[in-house]
Amino acid sequence: MTATTTTTDRTGAGARIEVRDLTKRFGSFTAVDQLSFSVEPGRITGFLGPNGAGKTTTLRMLLGLIRPTGGSATIEGQRYQDIASPMRMVGSALEATNFHPGRTGRDHLRVLAAATGIGDARVDEMLELVGIPAAARKRAGGYSMGMRQRLGLAAALLGDPKVLILDEPANGLDPEGIRWLRGFLRHLSRQGKTILVSSHMLQEVEQTVDDVVIINNGRLVKQGRMSELHGDAKTIVRTTDLDALAGALRVADVTSETQDDALVAATDDLRLIGDVALRAGLPVYELRAATTDLEALFFQLTEGTNRNLGDESAAPERDAITGQEGANG
Amino acid sequence: MIPAIKAELRKFFTTRLWWGMAIAMLVIGAGLAVAFGYFVTAGAESGAEGVPTGTAEQVANSVYTGGLSFGYLLTLVIGIMQIGSEYRHKTITSTLLAVPRRGQMMVAKVVALLVIGAIYGLIFLVGSVAAGALVLNAQGYSPFPSGGVFRTLALSLLVLGLWALIGLGVGILIPNQVAALLIAVAVAWIVEPIGGVLLSLWDFGRDHIVPYLPSAATQAMVNGVQQGGPDAAQPLSWWAGALVLAAYAAVLAGLGAWRTMRADIS
Ligand SMILES: Nc1ncnc2c1ncn2[C@@H]1O[C@H](COP(=O)(O)OP(=O)(O)O)[C@@H](O)[C@H]1O
Ligand SMILES: [Mg+2]
Repeated sequence: MTATTTTTDRTGAGARIEVRDLTKRFGSFTAVDQLSFSVEPGRITGFLGPNGAGKTTTLRMLLGLIRPTGGSATIEGQRYQDIASPMRMVGSALEATNFHPGRTGRDHLRVLAAATGIGDARVDEMLELVGIPAAARKRAGGYSMGMRQRLGLAAALLGDPKVLILDEPANGLDPEGIRWLRGFLRHLSRQGKTILVSSHMLQEVEQTVDDVVIINNGRLVKQGRMSELHGDAKTIVRTTDLDALAGALRVADVTSETQDDALVAATDDLRLIGDVALRAGLPVYELRAATTDLEALFFQLTEGTNRNLGDESAAPERDAITGQEGANG
Repeated sequence: MIPAIKAELRKFFTTRLWWGMAIAMLVIGAGLAVAFGYFVTAGAESGAEGVPTGTAEQVANSVYTGGLSFGYLLTLVIGIMQIGSEYRHKTITSTLLAVPRRGQMMVAKVVALLVIGAIYGLIFLVGSVAAGALVLNAQGYSPFPSGGVFRTLALSLLVLGLWALIGLGVGILIPNQVAALLIAVAVAWIVEPIGGVLLSLWDFGRDHIVPYLPSAATQAMVNGVQQGGPDAAQPLSWWAGALVLAAYAAVLAGLGAWRTMRADIS
């Protein structure tokens, strides 16, 4: 926990995002339902949930594009539309942000730059940064999804904001692009920016984010550290005599259990296990860190609330305004 | 406020629409000034029945603003597209992220449209005054018989700006851009003229409704020659015409702004 003394202002550090009891109904359909979570300054937070969970609707409310039915969403205690120079505080790239097909990407940025009093030099700098300086001089009509995502990122960064809000930025990127994005977000995070990045796939962001906010059917399912999702570290090792190795590990203070034809040890210290096996004279056929099956975990988290109508402890103070539940499940 | 207006203007001048429109304005201004130049001067002299009549000032006004009804159709289209293309291409999202206070965004659009209307007005007048003055001269008419001509020229700029604002309102109230364009053009060019003719058959309509229709108010502003003899509806004075057209623009753009203030952008 990064303790911030409440008396000092947070200028310099990224800003904090606070969502309180946020609700949006479209007619009788509740897209976002009493959602509360916060995003800590200077961290990368993954905003996760399956398609239709309400991520985009939540982010659009946070950005003043959709009017909440109830609750509030603030950045540094202010609604987006109350921030004096919003693009300098918050940079955002939303899903389905589009470009006029007849305008060049560069001119798209120049339009935004004009609205914020930013010069063309900064526009070109950002295009350079996201790697599309030449392509951005062509009309946007022919851009690939990857180009659009990069242009969207450049637009978000124009005002050198403290907060970045990105809706599914990995959509439509090839593996190379996703790797680039990962490094890019890490780089921005090191500058102290607060980053909120949505995705419908946990694996897409698992290596990037510090924290997660998981929603389903418009409700909070889980908020916490990414490391908590992973659970305790485990190592898988295979050898000829599992019991002998388990005994040797116990002597070295490492508990373990047999799973199929392998031993699962409660440590992430591969070297220690190798050394113990060597000393015990046991051959090692396989030695690797066990990864939590996050995909399965994510699936379980987001499916779970569908099946158990309204009794999941993860969703705080839910009330019975609507009987609305997702139909799938 | 100034940055938001600058962004709107930059938005307009960074697609190809603007110079296509500029060429159209110049051609329409010049072409119809020539056509009206021959038609009106011939009629005013002959005094034959059914042809337009008017003072030398009205003759000059008619020649210079001969293409104005095409011109304001174009700025009507520009107004519709200024907002319609934002919906259509979903650029309204980034527009509102840059200028999230929607009242401010709407004022910026209104000011930008008035500026754009004036710019196109100047382009239009360059064509119509140059070509029209030549024809008037050739026909033995004075190109600038009185100061009223200059008032008409200045008011044409306002006409084009106000019709652009009408377009802005229509473009918001009919969010489908193609539908908005078709409906607006059909109303301005088909429904209103036919309605005007039908209303003129009815005394009350002729005296109290027809002069207040948008195109009649526009014609009154620029004070051209009269057509249709003594039975035709009496036009408003130029300033009343300006007020009426400004009222149309204010109501439509105002309704549009009101709707934009409340809409969810998703
Ligand atoms: N303007 C709207 N009108 C009606 N329903 C909507 C609207 N926008 C979103 N929804 C619905 O709200 C739910 C959440 O959508 P969204 O926020 O886009 O989810 P996500 O981004 O997590 O995929 C979906 O079921 C979607 O169909
Ligand atoms: Mg979405």
